[in-house]
Amino acid sequence: MKAIEDLVSLLTRLPGIGRKSALRMTYYLLKADQGYTQALAERIGSLQGEIHFCSICGSYTEVDPCAVCTGLDRDRRIICVVEQPQDVLTIEASKEYKGLYHVLGGLLSPLDGIGPDKLRIASLVHRVREGRSKENSHDSVSENHKAMVEEVVLATNPTVEGDTTALYIRKVLEREGVRVTRLATGIPVGGDLEYADRLTLARSFRGRMPL
Amino acid sequence: MPFSYARFVSFRNLVDSEVDTKAERIFLIGENGQGKTNLLEALYYLCYGSSFRGSVDQQIPTAGNQGFGLAAAWNSLGELGEDAGLEDSISIRFDGQIKDIRLNGKALKDRKELVFHNPAVVFCHEDFSFASGDPERRRFFFDQCAGMLYPSYIDSLRSYKRILKQRNAALKESAHDLLDVLDPQLVRFGLALMEERQKLHRRFQAEFPRLYEYVSRLGRPVELAYFPSWQKGMEFDDLVTLLGSRRESEIFYGTTRSGPHRDRWDFTSQEGSFTDRASTGQLRLLSLILRIIQASAVASGEDHDDYGGERKSRWPILLLDDVLLELDVGKRRRFLELLPPPGQGAQAFFTFLPEEPWTEYENGDTIVYRVHNGRFENQKRL
Repeated sequence: MKAIEDLVSLLTRLPGIGRKSALRMTYYLLKADQGYTQALAERIGSLQGEIHFCSICGSYTEVDPCAVCTGLDRDRRIICVVEQPQDVLTIEASKEYKGLYHVLGGLLSPLDGIGPDKLRIASLVHRVREGRSKENSHDSVSENHKAMVEEVVLATNPTVEGDTTALYIRKVLEREGVRVTRLATGIPVGGDLEYADRLTLARSFRGRMPL
Repeated sequence: MPFSYARFVSFRNLVDSEVDTKAERIFLIGENGQGKTNLLEALYYLCYGSSFRGSVDQQIPTAGNQGFGLAAAWNSLGELGEDAGLEDSISIRFDGQIKDIRLNGKALKDRKELVFHNPAVVFCHEDFSFASGDPERRRFFFDQCAGMLYPSYIDSLRSYKRILKQRNAALKESAHDLLDVLDPQLVRFGLALMEERQKLHRRFQAEFPRLYEYVSRLGRPVELAYFPSWQKGMEFDDLVTLLGSRRESEIFYGTTRSGPHRDRWDFTSQEGSFTDRASTGQLRLLSLILRIIQASAVASGEDHDDYGGERKSRWPILLLDDVLLELDVGKRRRFLELLPPPGQGAQAFFTFLPEEPWTEYENGDTIVYRVHNGRFENQKRL
């Protein structure tokens, strides 16, 4: 049946979905309430039209600029740099971080032809500089809104490409007079030492902190 | 640790079956092309999750099949026999695309986890290239040894190779800004590799001249030399500066021209390079002695075990594929003396052609299989 085959073929292009899962979904949709299938189809169809990239941080948003970039409760002195928009949601879920974000849209990888010009690195430097110029201006925005960027937190993954990107950003920000930090790596909270792999343990020892 | 059995399904020309391997020595006797080496390959695969023949997994299944399966058990205390106690089990299933490796029923995420469970050392014809082949082949051998001995080596090597590829791509693009951040990373992992290789060299050099002379009776010392591409003693900052000073020339060539990927290992005698002057038999013996030292290094491991206690010597599985053919009678005898003696929990698999005097090599508990068309016929227990 072509309709089923077509849908299975489309679903298998989704990440983490193999042919078996796609078939299960298809048969579920065949039996599902029509209101549900129509709502699902409409949401999928309108998704890309309704969700945009925030013109400031590069994260997903329905309203530009996004709620984080315009939020009065956000600490504008600190910007967390992440690889993908999904990383913003992950960090937000921790409720620990109250600063701003900057999404790079990838990681440096000369092997794949991804150089600094393909990532949102220039706009990060611009934001850091802009923060400083606002500090010197005397407009009427709140104190928090005109705060100078004091720290950039590099939250790229601890992989070869993630480390390269972090080192590159640290280098380009050297002259901007901003503190550059990197997320800590090592033993997960609540984890047992006995279950940590040797590489994680080795990295934890290299990055040990005074108490 | 000794295998108590090995089972295979759709693996090369082997007929689906289970082979009893509860012995210290297992002799596989048969003509060429009957399946002797295929069994060694299956055992190696069970130890590392890959083939020593360098073949891709898709080439392994028996004709007409897409996948294959392997299973085995070994005694976790490194002892043989019915009363040996707890057994670990390993199973590997390849369906044509995905490989599923399970240790005691639990799936492994990375096949490198297998390396430290039940290591094997294979002595095969291709080892000849360690003595006479490209420097890359020798680096491959010593990288393999370091990976078996030092837990962080495999990760450092993987990271180094990844950064090297990125750096070479950046050189081709003349991307100076990226090279500025890739150079320190290359040096960081490169230095880690160099340190472990120097440690490995000391370990090999402590035994190599004596063992080679014992078997070869050459009458003059042959030594193992390690020539790192980066000068010994150079610090992190010196090396980053060095890479920076050579950048223009490397951009011209489009490749990284120094670093551990250019390290050399060589055999030297009083006249200089030994490999340039050695006979075929002498070269063959070089590779065999390297393998013996590799096995004994794995057996002795670090000075203490994972629990801080004194480490019990545990020999890796030894897989010897037609390696005695090119040695004269005296060298064969002396070489076999270097293998672990009976009663040490070591297990060795040998392949022989029917006309070889294999009965002379029996030493301790031995099972003999006649191999014909992928079938194993238990001939006798010596």
